[in-house]
Amino acid sequence: MSEEIKADKVMDLRGMPCPMPVVKISKGIKEVEIGQVVEAHSTDPGSLTDFPAWARTSGNEILKTEQDGDVIKFFIKRTA
Amino acid sequence: MDTIIYIILVPMVYAAFGIFILGTAMRIMKVWRAPKHSTTLQIYPEQKPKWLWTLNDTFLFPTVRRHYPVHWVFLMLFHICFFLLIIGHFELIDDYRILQIIEHEVFLGGGYVGLILSIALLFFLFRRFRSPVRELSVPEDFYLILLLFLTVVFGSEMDWARTWYGYGGFAVEDYRQYLSSLLYLKPDLPDAATESGHSFMLILHVFFANLFLMFFPFSKIMHSFFSLAMNKLRRG
Amino acid sequence: MDQNTREELLRLFNSKLNQAMKFYLETCSRCGMCTHACHVHESMPQVKYIAAYRAEIVRRLYKRYFKKQGRIWPWMGESKELGDVALEELYEAAYSCTGCRRCMVYCPHGIDTQMLMSIAKLLLVGANSEPEILTLLADTSIEKGRSIDLLKTSFMQGVKRLEEEVVKKWKTEAGETTIPVDVEGASLLYVALAGAHSIIPAAAVFNAAKENWTLSFFEAVNFGAFVGDPTKTKLILDRIVNEARRLKVKEVCICECGTAYRVMKQLSGKQPFAVSSVTEVHARYIKEGRIQLDRFAFKDPVTYHDPCQIARNAGVIYEARYILNSLADDYREMSPDPKYNWCCGGGGGLVALGDETLDFRMKSAKVKAEQVNDTGAKILSTACENCHTQLSNLNDHYKMDVRVRFLSSMVADALVQPDALS
Repeated sequence: MSEEIKADKVMDLRGMPCPMPVVKISKGIKEVEIGQVVEAHSTDPGSLTDFPAWARTSGNEILKTEQDGDVIKFFIKRTA
Repeated sequence: MDTIIYIILVPMVYAAFGIFILGTAMRIMKVWRAPKHSTTLQIYPEQKPKWLWTLNDTFLFPTVRRHYPVHWVFLMLFHICFFLLIIGHFELIDDYRILQIIEHEVFLGGGYVGLILSIALLFFLFRRFRSPVRELSVPEDFYLILLLFLTVVFGSEMDWARTWYGYGGFAVEDYRQYLSSLLYLKPDLPDAATESGHSFMLILHVFFANLFLMFFPFSKIMHSFFSLAMNKLRRG
Repeated sequence: MDQNTREELLRLFNSKLNQAMKFYLETCSRCGMCTHACHVHESMPQVKYIAAYRAEIVRRLYKRYFKKQGRIWPWMGESKELGDVALEELYEAAYSCTGCRRCMVYCPHGIDTQMLMSIAKLLLVGANSEPEILTLLADTSIEKGRSIDLLKTSFMQGVKRLEEEVVKKWKTEAGETTIPVDVEGASLLYVALAGAHSIIPAAAVFNAAKENWTLSFFEAVNFGAFVGDPTKTKLILDRIVNEARRLKVKEVCICECGTAYRVMKQLSGKQPFAVSSVTEVHARYIKEGRIQLDRFAFKDPVTYHDPCQIARNAGVIYEARYILNSLADDYREMSPDPKYNWCCGGGGGLVALGDETLDFRMKSAKVKAEQVNDTGAKILSTACENCHTQLSNLNDHYKMDVRVRFLSSMVADALVQPDALS
């Protein structure tokens, strides 16, 4: 079992139209301190590629991606 | 005073035409030599044949007719009269049989061309005093209307005097003598042009026309050359 | 603004000066015929929202730096120094313009305000004053193109999970893949958006039409075009072009996204594949009898919002009507002439800017809401993600009481199932 990651902020991005999940997470990540973690929930399959690409571009780190039914959960650590 | 009159009626005319022709040619060349836009700039739905609709858009202003019918009437009158006026001036140089297909007196239009043009210009001027066209306008817009208005009014006065009031001190032959002498580069000012009671009209008419021609290539009036090409872009 | 920045910005300005742009910069007679063309002006009548006024903000700089008149006689055309104030004006002009080109229909010369605003947007990019989220989104898209090999597997897993939903709309026969990805030699490459709603209905219709199709790894939308950065626009576009060439497809079909379609159709150059919108493809399937639709699938009155970049600016107009008349009982035209259709108010990157522009988007699109209301329709159909988002926002804001629907999902819902056919 992997270690449980504790999120400092949870964002519900389910069912949002393009490109809102990335827009929201970009803003949301700035609302936590560097080193803190945001947990984002998305239902879009595109976010499986969008989020990692966004993380690389913006210099943040995706700690874990997990699938929970239809929902994809991203644990993102603010590093920039 | 004679020197000033001479300068306006002879060297300034040459200078004005020189600047007008060279300036216009250079501006057209400059724009034409710029690289073409890589994609279409067309508006849909398209109508065919495209070239015919382009001509329609360029010369009949259908969008103005649809949205501003009153403005359209003045716009059409203005452009038609402007065209007639250019032909009229050719006839003040010489007789052209082709222009006499419909027989008429020189100057064309029996004085009404100038009258309509003056009224249209006043319409264009006054609508610029009103919001929102006032806020859209820059000094250039007023300067051009003013120059055209003054040119047209003084030019028309000469015409009106001859046609409507039977003034004989300055005849068509005198204009022909003056203009053709300019054209053949042997400037010759007839007495009527400098001495007659109406010579001040000619001098002011030519002076404002010179200013207009000199400003032409650097102004928005270049639309007379560009509008067709632009409308073609829109039609695809 | 220091001298170096100004010179760099003027270099960018100069890079935009092609023939068409020079026509547009040289010619405006400021006649004001475009006054009532812009939905922003019609909803909030202020001079700064008139197309000619926006254009003049760019033109004043042009006069100052690229035209003799502005140097010799600066006040004659009110030419203007390029500085911080000018940048603020450029921002307001460019990001209150949705690039719908409705004003181009009014202009007696046919001046393209969107083109002129592209100068404003490029200068803002050059001065790092553009909306940073748009650049971030563009960079994310480009990054996705670079690292696609790393991301492929998770994307395919994500897509796999949508198959169940697709099958609910159209049953795939044994041995067929419900959502094919990365299929070399497929006839059609479908470029969707990141959302499931952009993939599921389209997949069902492709399968119903027995299309030999494959789903692109990339999202269609081009944020480079929204932010007005030609280099990024090209990089984002090239991801799809390269994928299409690699898979040797005959046709690239762009999902319901106006900008994506226009960019792909008009900027991709000569390619071995055709470019079509999903609306065109659906109309073709109906015409060729490849799919059967329930003629009375939608009983409520339906109207259609023409996305500007697909209709007025790329010519897909008739197809949407053909589809709607094949599945709706009561189709109502919104504007007698589609080129006069109002913009939804969400284009040009405004919807992508999210809540930041919401207030402006709602106020500036009042005329759109009225246009929809006048039809009395209960279903508002459209074929663009941006328009859909904006129209849904308008629906809430103005309590329009319509259902905003994607045209493609209406097609999927109207599919006549094979058991019903037999």
